[in-house]
Amino acid sequence: MLPIDAAAHSSRWRRRHPVDKAVLGLGLTVLAISLPPWPGAALVLVTALALLLGPAGVPAGRLWRAYRVPLGFCVTGALTLLVRVGGPGGFVSPAPDGPLRAGELLLRTSAASLGVLLFAFTTPMSDLLPRLVRAGVPAPLVDVALVTYRMSFLLLDSVRRVHRAQAARLGHTTRAATWRSLGGLGATAFVRSFDRAARLQTGLAGRGYDGALRVLVPEARVSARFTAASVTLLAALAALTFVLERPLS
Amino acid sequence: MHIAEGFLPPAHAVAWGVASAPFVVHGARSLVRDVREHPESTLLLGASGAFTFVLSALKLPSVTGSCSHPTGTGLGAILFRPPVMAVLGTITLLFQALLLAHGGLTTLGANVFSLAVVGPWAGYGAYRLLRRYDVPLMGAVFCGAFLADLSTYCVTSVQLALAFPDPGSGFLGALGKFGSIFAVTQIPLAVSEGLLTVLVMRLLVQSSKGELTRLGVLVTSAAGGKRAAEAESAGAVAR
Repeated sequence: MLPIDAAAHSSRWRRRHPVDKAVLGLGLTVLAISLPPWPGAALVLVTALALLLGPAGVPAGRLWRAYRVPLGFCVTGALTLLVRVGGPGGFVSPAPDGPLRAGELLLRTSAASLGVLLFAFTTPMSDLLPRLVRAGVPAPLVDVALVTYRMSFLLLDSVRRVHRAQAARLGHTTRAATWRSLGGLGATAFVRSFDRAARLQTGLAGRGYDGALRVLVPEARVSARFTAASVTLLAALAALTFVLERPLS
Repeated sequence: MHIAEGFLPPAHAVAWGVASAPFVVHGARSLVRDVREHPESTLLLGASGAFTFVLSALKLPSVTGSCSHPTGTGLGAILFRPPVMAVLGTITLLFQALLLAHGGLTTLGANVFSLAVVGPWAGYGAYRLLRRYDVPLMGAVFCGAFLADLSTYCVTSVQLALAFPDPGSGFLGALGKFGSIFAVTQIPLAVSEGLLTVLVMRLLVQSSKGELTRLGVLVTSAAGGKRAAEAESAGAVAR
């Protein structure tokens, strides 16, 4: 299991309905990209961080390990805004408002990422996917996504073991050997995924498979109180942004 | 390269979502129809999705000494066709956003358009065109994977340039800026992905002829003697 999904399975909010957490987490993400970055995205960032480390109980180390990935992309992307092409300063010169634009972009993307992480760290995929049928997504499509999800972990595990075996056979000592090993790894992943699908098909056929994959979904109800509190928090953040925007600009 | 969460302004995020929607809906409808007619396809398609997810997680050595990840869209499109890849790519991107914090939900539309729509169609188009002109299988596979990778990054450059036009030279300046940054890293990576795809396909021709025939990549001798002979020779070259 991947670290974020593993953390979601042991989250304090695991038993909450995904809709509750989507309103809060994805609401924060929408606010982060819709409000003025200063002070809107900064407020969203602080709120999301407080919720993640506080009520949601996500360990700081785990959060950092997940957060540094999008943060790296954000920093790399923001760097391009520091320069301008053409103009009086030469072919490439520092952009006059580059640091401001880069800072705003960094605030927006880091706040938006934390909103999604709040949802991802508290909602296991196995709770979310089966409920998509009720949201109108065709059942066969959800079934394919469910099989993909469950098979991905097994396949990732297989690939890791094959990679270790290749390394033990000195398969990564030279560049040529590395390429050969990589090709073998990709082909093995294909063969194993199709072999697993065929064996799963045989097993399911023996249990009367009729085309629908029925899975147990933990019982949970949408909490009106939690959703109302989330909407109030989001509205308060939006209002506070507009109140503080002029004095802080 | 996925566009990170929150990177695009809201209007752009919505617009790319709208642009991707017809391709994903078309792919989803054909996938649903296929699954209803052949229920066993669910498992095969799920396996294909998992394969795409794992393929995009492989670490590829790059010329600069660092590592990067293949997009997997070229091989996916050749094996499973672009409409199916639009759906499998969307599922993979959703998983990457939620399980790995790569990409994002607000940028899902833009990432789907570059990685699951344009990449597979460009790669598959090149592959089919070359096969029509009797280019050997591995040559066509290399070009398909190379173009799928490169077109993905070209579209990502356009998406970023539209969102962040250069203050001095506008859209074209920004396109040059993002394009040149990508070109340094992505042209060697596209070549690397092409080579990796050829290596994978060579091994698959040897080990999974049945699956490749079922997927329509190889043609059986009964259906077309010339193509089958060609596939055999490709296998012989691999050996």
